[in-house]
Amino acid sequence: MLQQYRPLDGSRIAVPDSVLGIEMADDCTRFNLRIAGTGIAPAGKVFGVTLPKVIGQTAASGDKLALCLGPDEWQLMAPLDERDRIEAAFAALYAKVPHSLVDISHREVGIVVEGSAAAVALCSACPLDLDEMPVGAATRTIFDKAQIVLIRQGRDSFRIEVWQSFADHVWGILQAAGREITLEI
Amino acid sequence: MLLIRCPHCAAERPEVEFVYAGEAHISRPRDPAVLTDEQWKNHLFIRSNPRGTHFERWRHIHGCGRFFNAVRDTVTDKFAMTYKAGLPRPSEAEIREARS
Amino acid sequence: MSTYRVAAKGRIDQSRPVHFTFNGERFEGRKGDTLASALLANGVHLVGRSFKYHRPRGILSAGSEEPNALVGVSRGVGRSEPNTRATVLEVFEGLNTVSQNHWPSLKRDVGTINDAFYMLFSAGFYYKTFMWPKSFWNKVYEPFIRGAAGLGKSPSVPDPDTYASRYAHCDVLVVGSGPAGLAAALEAGRSGAKIILVDEQAELGGSLLSEPAAGINGQPAWQWLETAADELAASKNVTVLTRTTAIGYYHENFLGLCQRVTDHLETLPEGAPRERMWRVRARQVVLAQGSIEKPLVFDGNDRPGVMLAGSARTFLNRYGVKVGNRAVVVTSHDSAWLAAINLAEAGVKVSAIIDIRASVPYHLVDLAKAHGIEVLTGWTVTGTSGRLRVSSVRVNPVTAGGKVGRARNIACDTLLMCGGWTPSVHLFSHTKGKLDWNEERQMFLPGAPTEETRCAGAGNGVFGLLDALKEGAFAGASAATDAGFKAKAGDYQIEGEIACTGISVKELPTDRNSSSAKAFVDFQNDVTAKDIRLAVREGFQSIEHIKRYTTTGMATDQGKTSNINGLAIASDAVRRPTPAVGLTTFRPPYTPTTFGAFAGYTRGSLFEVTRKTAIDGWAEQNGAVFEPVSLWRRAWYFPERGEDMHQSVARECKATRQSLGIFDASTLGKIEIVGPDAAEFINRMYTNAWSKLAPGRLRYGLLLGEDGFIRDDGVIGRLSTDRFHVTTTTGGAARVLATMEDYLQTEWPDLKVWLTSTTEQWAVIALNGPNARQLIEPLVEGIDLSNQAFPHMSVAEGNICGVPTRLFRVSFTGELGFEINVPSRYGRAVWEALYEAGRQYDITPYGTEAMHVMRAEKGYIIVGQDTDGTLTPDDAGLGWAIGKAKPDFVGKRSLTRSDMLKADRKQLVGLMTRDPKTVLEEGAHIVADPNQPVPMKMIGHVTSSYWSEALGRSIALAVIEGGRAREGQTVHVPMPGKTHQAEITGMVFFDPENERLNA
Ligand SMILES: [Zn+2]
Repeated sequence: MLQQYRPLDGSRIAVPDSVLGIEMADDCTRFNLRIAGTGIAPAGKVFGVTLPKVIGQTAASGDKLALCLGPDEWQLMAPLDERDRIEAAFAALYAKVPHSLVDISHREVGIVVEGSAAAVALCSACPLDLDEMPVGAATRTIFDKAQIVLIRQGRDSFRIEVWQSFADHVWGILQAAGREITLEI
Repeated sequence: MLLIRCPHCAAERPEVEFVYAGEAHISRPRDPAVLTDEQWKNHLFIRSNPRGTHFERWRHIHGCGRFFNAVRDTVTDKFAMTYKAGLPRPSEAEIREARS
Repeated sequence: MSTYRVAAKGRIDQSRPVHFTFNGERFEGRKGDTLASALLANGVHLVGRSFKYHRPRGILSAGSEEPNALVGVSRGVGRSEPNTRATVLEVFEGLNTVSQNHWPSLKRDVGTINDAFYMLFSAGFYYKTFMWPKSFWNKVYEPFIRGAAGLGKSPSVPDPDTYASRYAHCDVLVVGSGPAGLAAALEAGRSGAKIILVDEQAELGGSLLSEPAAGINGQPAWQWLETAADELAASKNVTVLTRTTAIGYYHENFLGLCQRVTDHLETLPEGAPRERMWRVRARQVVLAQGSIEKPLVFDGNDRPGVMLAGSARTFLNRYGVKVGNRAVVVTSHDSAWLAAINLAEAGVKVSAIIDIRASVPYHLVDLAKAHGIEVLTGWTVTGTSGRLRVSSVRVNPVTAGGKVGRARNIACDTLLMCGGWTPSVHLFSHTKGKLDWNEERQMFLPGAPTEETRCAGAGNGVFGLLDALKEGAFAGASAATDAGFKAKAGDYQIEGEIACTGISVKELPTDRNSSSAKAFVDFQNDVTAKDIRLAVREGFQSIEHIKRYTTTGMATDQGKTSNINGLAIASDAVRRPTPAVGLTTFRPPYTPTTFGAFAGYTRGSLFEVTRKTAIDGWAEQNGAVFEPVSLWRRAWYFPERGEDMHQSVARECKATRQSLGIFDASTLGKIEIVGPDAAEFINRMYTNAWSKLAPGRLRYGLLLGEDGFIRDDGVIGRLSTDRFHVTTTTGGAARVLATMEDYLQTEWPDLKVWLTSTTEQWAVIALNGPNARQLIEPLVEGIDLSNQAFPHMSVAEGNICGVPTRLFRVSFTGELGFEINVPSRYGRAVWEALYEAGRQYDITPYGTEAMHVMRAEKGYIIVGQDTDGTLTPDDAGLGWAIGKAKPDFVGKRSLTRSDMLKADRKQLVGLMTRDPKTVLEEGAHIVADPNQPVPMKMIGHVTSSYWSEALGRSIALAVIEGGRAREGQTVHVPMPGKTHQAEITGMVFFDPENERLNA
């Protein structure tokens, strides 16, 4: 296969002593899943993760993660080599349970924001109260002018999923915030 | 910046996640072809524009993506309540109770 | 050091001298000084000229309300700021400042001539003076207004600084760190609630910083302050923001706080933002903004050396500066007596206290006399003398009946005044909270709030130290309680407090002709009491009108020191009670705020999102010139050495039509529509018929609004029975998806179909030209590309260069064409592989301009360029795209409204200029008869116009009334220099039989 190009590959923002580390996340398979009520349980079985039913919650199993983004909407994330299997399994489910599964692996990139100042860096442009966001929560929101999905992976660890053409913009603001954090200003 | 309660997310979220989507409880006629020009014009262009209680649509576009309805006071800008699209227009008593 | 600095007083660091310049002269101050205190320590009162009359002005106050002492600050290229208040500007080593509004110098200013023409500039002069004669406008009035306009000098080069912003959330936000605010923050902080305490000054304390003598809970005030500040600093749940101004209070307890991060620093840390805008959402808010001292209104009250009494006390107690050696005090309030006594204790000769009131508390009188101060109660001030600094004050007795007696003069170098105190209700007022007029105290006080907020201390009309502490503590505790925490207000004891009262007065009584008095109400805008009375005489009744006519309260200080005096005089003049005259509205920002702080990160490359495609990097490396298209930047054309745009575009078009062109179409909007009802949904949305479109086929789709006008278009491919790949215009992508979601969620929720944006999932490479098929045939796997198996308007899935693809056979140029969709991270590599393989066909990258030319040659429209939201499908010549048999689709009903059927609707047609070399201007108007009288009837306009290399002539598209029926007629297009003739034609200029794209 040909070489892939990702925006910002290899870029890094770092403030020493685990204060802040921002870098591009490893690639993964991403699907947007839209499915109605009774189909949720079988869809979870097909994917391999019981789908959370509350908007804002995530569920994981092994390397796979499911985010509930809307009343009938999930983002499914899995290792790259699971793509074909997942697609085929859902195709088999379609006749019984109509749904929409769309590959959005290349639509977005992941940016990992970690460290004791991670939340401060995000607050540069994210209007949410991150103190109210539990570990394991995920939500679509806005970061300056870019729509993102924000996932809280740990107390001091977040992941931003953003459409790739918006990634530069998000990165630019995080870089500015990183400078402020470095200067403790 | 307003805080808006999304009835789907069941949470108050910042206004920047939402877009306004016009007056609520105006549904598209089942068969527009049977409407007179006058009726169609009224459906398309005529809105209530009240001073005070207004029924309106919002979309949690940068959140769960859902359209929903809201009762808002156009004088104070304050929301009395929000509810899912498709539900009936709340009564005055319900709005009063939500405000208190 | 000068004689004005008092040793062992103040909070400045007496051991750390700091040097700065003012108008080029070098001065020494102390670490902790403001520019105002440092200048006063050097005996400098004259710091600027007034805006309108260029009158010499001094320092009026010690705080952010300052109307007079505005200076320009400069710290290197681009770092100059006008109108900085000397009273808040902290001095640092090397600070450079200049005074404003004068020429050639502060001491000799030719603009004072305005002062002599005083009558010309009275109330409403803007509206009166420049009215006639008309011929004066260009030569006299406008140059004069331009010359005189503007306060200070705006910077002329880009600001090199960066600015930051941050969102924050808290349980309790306390604005102001005077006694009330501190007490509130302490109580709320002890509850464990998340607190933000914000104060505009460099250190916490507010009015306590001017009151070292008081004792709080057994400690001297400043020691108590230090303990409090330490406690707050040690509390993890408390964020203290100093040098931070709460500039605005918006809906749902959302406040903007502007933090000055580096302005006070001697050296700027590399990469540090100058200011940061905090956007805070608070559950509860405590407003403890304090109060502002009112000047008194009398002739000559603006002379340098005339100052607010409380500010003089602040300069002495906080900065260790005597504002003069020989002071006179004029007041209607007890607090100025305390200032007088403080100054006397510090060695200032206080000659007299003039109190408007006939009787004053005995203990104050005794105290004053004990300090050797002459006491004149029931007296008035009727004038001041001195050229650039007050040298004497004219005082007169007033009888009980109001008769003003004989004047005498008292020599002084400083005149301190106090007309009482105004609670700062600005932020409360931003929330539209009601202000109640207190007739007895002659002040507006916060009434019923509209937000989760409470006011405390002087800002709530509670002036005593003890009362302010108690009210602050109560406010802090109840705010924390309401935010869901357990809190209880502690108690306070105070020693050494002297309670103060006073009265409010309008202009001071005088024995002179008041029509020649220059008794200023608004210092910054040079508005006098006489101006306000004149406005009322001329018929203005509402304070909102009086304000705009006289400009009182409209300066950068928003009338902090002038509003209430102006209102009292207006109310007296209209003979109506103050609340009936009304208070003008306070609006954010509370104090002048830089544009940078509002912009935050939004400048330079972050000014707007610049979306780039996966192939953008290749285009950049290959010399593309870009153009913005909605948020995207797109390759516009690819000039080769020495080519201009015209030559480049002509070459790109020619190469594509002759052999092969390659184009980045990735920005096209894409929506995947999936579900059993997908075809039905698209049927309802788009005008065309979709049910019978077979999988593997494409169709052009036209989308209308319910009003029947064209909103968007694009090619839609059916991948399988239940799955469609929809494309939209670049700019319409988000809008189309939102419209579709709207119908799906709210009108047709029963349909089983779902929408997903895939715009960025796919990179799209358009290959066009006779050699397009030859190029990709060897690179494609799994798709039979023969014309029979894969005709024009087909779609298939397979691989290209080993990468999965959705291959469209479609053309927007009229040539044999393919649109190759590949997962976007492969976009660049596939592009490069095609480009390499295409060298044998002289493959040529082309940009959006060549694409526009080639599509126009074929008469393909661009929505938003050839349509403008008023064109129906028929107007655009797209009547064929309407599914006639469909009972309904979005917009169908509107197409039969009578207006939509008129014969003279503007229709899209082709235009060929009589002179083939003339390329019309897009947007140019079209008339039928060029000899008709002006204004001519415009019958249409040019929407697209290009040089067509393929045809060797110019072509254009235009909308023209009844255009199609006029085919063959000549119309006229007036352009600069010449009116051109053009013939109305059909829209397809090139290969009307479509032989090329079907090849
Ligand atoms: Zn929501």
